[in-house]
Amino acid sequence: MRGSWLGILVAALSPAVGLAGQAPDDPRIRALGFGDFNYLVTDLDGKEGFRIGQMVGHVIADIDERFTFFGEVSLTAKDDKYSIEVERASVRYDFADEFKISAGRFHTPVGYWNTAFHHGSWLQTSVARPEMIKFGSRFIPTHFVGLLAEGGFPTSPLGLGYSVGIGNGRAANIARAGDAGDVNDRPAWVARVRLRPISIVGLEVGATFYSDRLLAPDLSKANERIYALHVALDRDAPEILAEYAHVTHDPVTGSGDLPGSDGYYIQFGYRLPAAYRSVKPYVRVEQVVVQSGDDVFFPLALNYDGVVVGVRYDPGVFLALRVEYRYEQFEGMAKTNSLYAQASFVLTGS
Amino acid sequence: MVPTVDAQTMEAVAIVVHPEVAIDDDNLTLDQLRSIFLAERQHWGDRSRITLLVRAAMAPERDLILTEIYGMSEDRYRQYWIGKMFRSEVASGPKIVFSTDMLRDLVTVIPGSIGFVPVSEVGPDLKVIRIDGMLPGDEGYPLN
Repeated sequence: MRGSWLGILVAALSPAVGLAGQAPDDPRIRALGFGDFNYLVTDLDGKEGFRIGQMVGHVIADIDERFTFFGEVSLTAKDDKYSIEVERASVRYDFADEFKISAGRFHTPVGYWNTAFHHGSWLQTSVARPEMIKFGSRFIPTHFVGLLAEGGFPTSPLGLGYSVGIGNGRAANIARAGDAGDVNDRPAWVARVRLRPISIVGLEVGATFYSDRLLAPDLSKANERIYALHVALDRDAPEILAEYAHVTHDPVTGSGDLPGSDGYYIQFGYRLPAAYRSVKPYVRVEQVVVQSGDDVFFPLALNYDGVVVGVRYDPGVFLALRVEYRYEQFEGMAKTNSLYAQASFVLTGS
Repeated sequence: MVPTVDAQTMEAVAIVVHPEVAIDDDNLTLDQLRSIFLAERQHWGDRSRITLLVRAAMAPERDLILTEIYGMSEDRYRQYWIGKMFRSEVASGPKIVFSTDMLRDLVTVIPGSIGFVPVSEVGPDLKVIRIDGMLPGDEGYPLN
């Protein structure tokens, strides 16, 4: 065995290599950091100027060979302060590829973007998320507190995988997860299935069903159901991301099925070839349509139309610069034009 | 842009595993191998964890793996693993190995490990895995 002890010594001392197949004596902690800095010119009153985006710290710690802790904390600039939020905190036990179970606070496994990019702005192509899953989204519950079982069947030809969760659902403020308990008398649950064929790296097709009971703005109780579909070809050339969600709210005591509300986006990006491969133009079309019979969403004025056109430029591996033009119409407002410039980055370490 | 590999100068790459890793007929299909390297599959059949050993950037065999297994550029490959960690799909990325000697040593001592080395560097202490029934040098072997 040539150079064996030297190799093992180097491995033991190197942050890049650990004896990961063995239980560590102490939890090994790995960290990721995400952040962004923005400049905005817009028709919207009081929004222009420089702004610090979210600063996000993400840690992963091996508690033992099968238990892993995942945590994420964000700092978000507000008008008069920074808000600190525990975005995720969960402990997972890995039985096998087919079955892993976690307890804690997660990104709700609805659709694609919410779990794929979320607070990791450097990971996504565009400056910000689509409206239907934006920061503080009320259309889709972006966070989930409870238990989550997930797994995949990597030997299946289509790469079948699933996530099934039961938890508190939305809080009284429906933009938030029920961190301190369930505000109603029925838990929320979510089930997502996806196909990720190994022969087409980056392709994922999935469907989600989410069910909860929540409080409408008039304090009546309503049953919420979300039916979502997504198709994602998450690669550089081309990138195609598309999601659709149909949300219904039925009064617990009342007239039965009512018309649902809809949200969707389609995003296309293409990294240029050869000498221009640092450049990735993209375009996104999106809409949120709330029906007047939706007693939960209609008072919140969530209707939205938007077109986003931008260019991402990667001067280095861990830095992305973006310029993005948006043509949007928020409910009750005139059409607006906005121009964003953003630098976003990721930090890695262990 | 996916890295290009000079077929005239690049020698075949062998997939090697820890001696106690049990794989039927010591054979994986290319899709099975891809699912391991993409961390879609993270456990062997006995539920032991797979530890992926990958040569550091600039190694020619790494370029071959990025081309033939991942189909990704170096930048995209790094983004892929950061994304996997961010999504909590993996607890860590591949273990980076800085030399063939080091990889050869580690794959024999880390339980459940898998890596790749140029075929001329394979020693008698390494367990080489067939891909689709083929060994390095066989006609049709995907990592020639």
